[in-house]
Amino acid sequence: MRLILTILGLIATVSAAIGGAVGALSTVFTGTSALQTGLIAAGVSLLALGLVNIPIVLLSQREMERLKRHVASSSEGFSEGAYRAPFWIRPVSEAFARAAGAWSDRIEGLQAKLRDVEIRHSVAEAERRSCEAILNSLRDAVLVTDPFNELALANEPAARLLGFDLTQAAHRPLDQIISDTSLRRLIDEVRQSSVVNKQKHVEHPLAANAGEPDDGGIFDITLTCLPDGHNGSGGVVTILRDVTREKEISQMKSDFVSQASHELRTPLSSINAYIEMLIDSEADSEETRQEFYAVIKHETDRVSRMIDNMLNISRIESGIVQTELVEVDFVKLGNEVVETLRPQAALKKITLHQKTGPLLYSAEADRDMMYQVLVNLIGNAVKYTPEGGRITLIVDNDETSRSVLVTVADTGLGIPPEAIENVFSKFYRIESYKRVAKGTGLGLNLVKHIVETVHHGQVGVESEVGMGSRFWFTIPYEFKCD
Amino acid sequence: MQGKKILVVDDEAHITGVLSLKLENAGFDVTTASDGEEALELVEQSLPDMVITDLQMPYVSGIELATQLSASERTARIPVLMLTARGYSLSAEDLAATNIKDVLSKPFSPRHVLARVQELLDEASKDQTGDQADAA
Repeated sequence: MRLILTILGLIATVSAAIGGAVGALSTVFTGTSALQTGLIAAGVSLLALGLVNIPIVLLSQREMERLKRHVASSSEGFSEGAYRAPFWIRPVSEAFARAAGAWSDRIEGLQAKLRDVEIRHSVAEAERRSCEAILNSLRDAVLVTDPFNELALANEPAARLLGFDLTQAAHRPLDQIISDTSLRRLIDEVRQSSVVNKQKHVEHPLAANAGEPDDGGIFDITLTCLPDGHNGSGGVVTILRDVTREKEISQMKSDFVSQASHELRTPLSSINAYIEMLIDSEADSEETRQEFYAVIKHETDRVSRMIDNMLNISRIESGIVQTELVEVDFVKLGNEVVETLRPQAALKKITLHQKTGPLLYSAEADRDMMYQVLVNLIGNAVKYTPEGGRITLIVDNDETSRSVLVTVADTGLGIPPEAIENVFSKFYRIESYKRVAKGTGLGLNLVKHIVETVHHGQVGVESEVGMGSRFWFTIPYEFKCD
Repeated sequence: MQGKKILVVDDEAHITGVLSLKLENAGFDVTTASDGEEALELVEQSLPDMVITDLQMPYVSGIELATQLSASERTARIPVLMLTARGYSLSAEDLAATNIKDVLSKPFSPRHVLARVQELLDEASKDQTGDQADAA
């Protein structure tokens, strides 16, 4: 009986150990809680035998508990042999320890890899954010498309320019984002060309968006095909730079040169023709010759005045003008200009007078430039006021803008409403008044530059055709440096 | 060339003045206008043998003037000599639509203008004689 019991006990112990080992092995697959499942499995196998040898079972359960604790506290112990199982289950427990050791190494390796991946992920995330910030800090619009012609990356200026929502645009096909078909075609052409890392430059007009009316214009577009690592196209980087303003400036410059040369050719034609007439003795009387000399002198003065004006404007525009600041008394200066122009006004029976209050009307300004402004404004008034008219120079203070306010009012022809916004433009002359008086078309432009660009004041005009014009300007009491 | 009528059109009085004197001294009968509109009225009044005009003028430009002259059968054969301060050359359209014979750039030489006027009037009178011969 004892022998039977011993055999049964041994079977139970072995089955418990196997159950334990199974459970322990399953641990490495699913986690330590599976060890308990293993113990239960061992118990179940005992019950299945219908025999209970409690001391032996308890013994092996104790073994399993120790084993379990050991796994929980230090998996290294197995491989180092810290755990000593009873000799009769030692082969099983040693196999188990080896397997557990190997798996534990693997877990540790995986954990290290996970940490590494996590670090890499956060670095990549930081890089992505900084990339986004860099892209958004650019003034140019940037679009990056993938090999499937879907949007991979874009910045805020691109979203604003092309009118799409940046948060919802990623990975959407380009034709759902960009309505401009020729821009889409450009990007697609570069993508299909697969000529990588070679920039293509195109100048392309883009229509303004409904929401962003300011954004339409001429764009310089740079397209670069990205490599995909297999000699194919990995996508396209498209950079759109607004060159509208640059174009306008360059157009203005070439217009200026062409207009200036035209304006200079006209007096030069006269000078040249009259000199040739004198050489050819076409002027038969002394009177005619004197007339010719006068024309040549007059036209030469015109050329030199135009060159002076052009140079002054150009100096102011390029910011290299030298100012000599003094306290300018506008009443005194106004008087001086009025007296200079009075003979000219008298020829047309125009009365010229000055109206002012009892105060001091002075500001820190360049005196010569102020003289030029007054000569141009009062001179224009004399030119465009018919015989018997009246010109009034009014000097006042404007406390709101802390400036001297000077107004030149005339009873002249007045300016048509369609022309009024252009009267301060370079070379602008009202077509219908060209015969009334000669001019360079630069006088008022120079006035505007001297007052606004140099002295930070303001110029303006109110006018009614047939009633006259009021040109005014303000000069701040104190000169403001740039 | 004596007594041939020439109309000189320019908004610069000095230019019309100097050309008038040069052409009058050569025996032409000269009238002047200061823009295209005035020129068209004068052409109607006294059919000139030739028109010398500036390109850039207020209201009606030199090209518009030449185009309008070509549009009317009465004035279509009047040769036009253009003066311009802008770089301008005749296009095929201008040649087809107008009777502009030459474009001289400003500053110009009155001597050269007179020479061109005489040449162009010679050509015009030859054409006319040819036409009359054809008609006969």
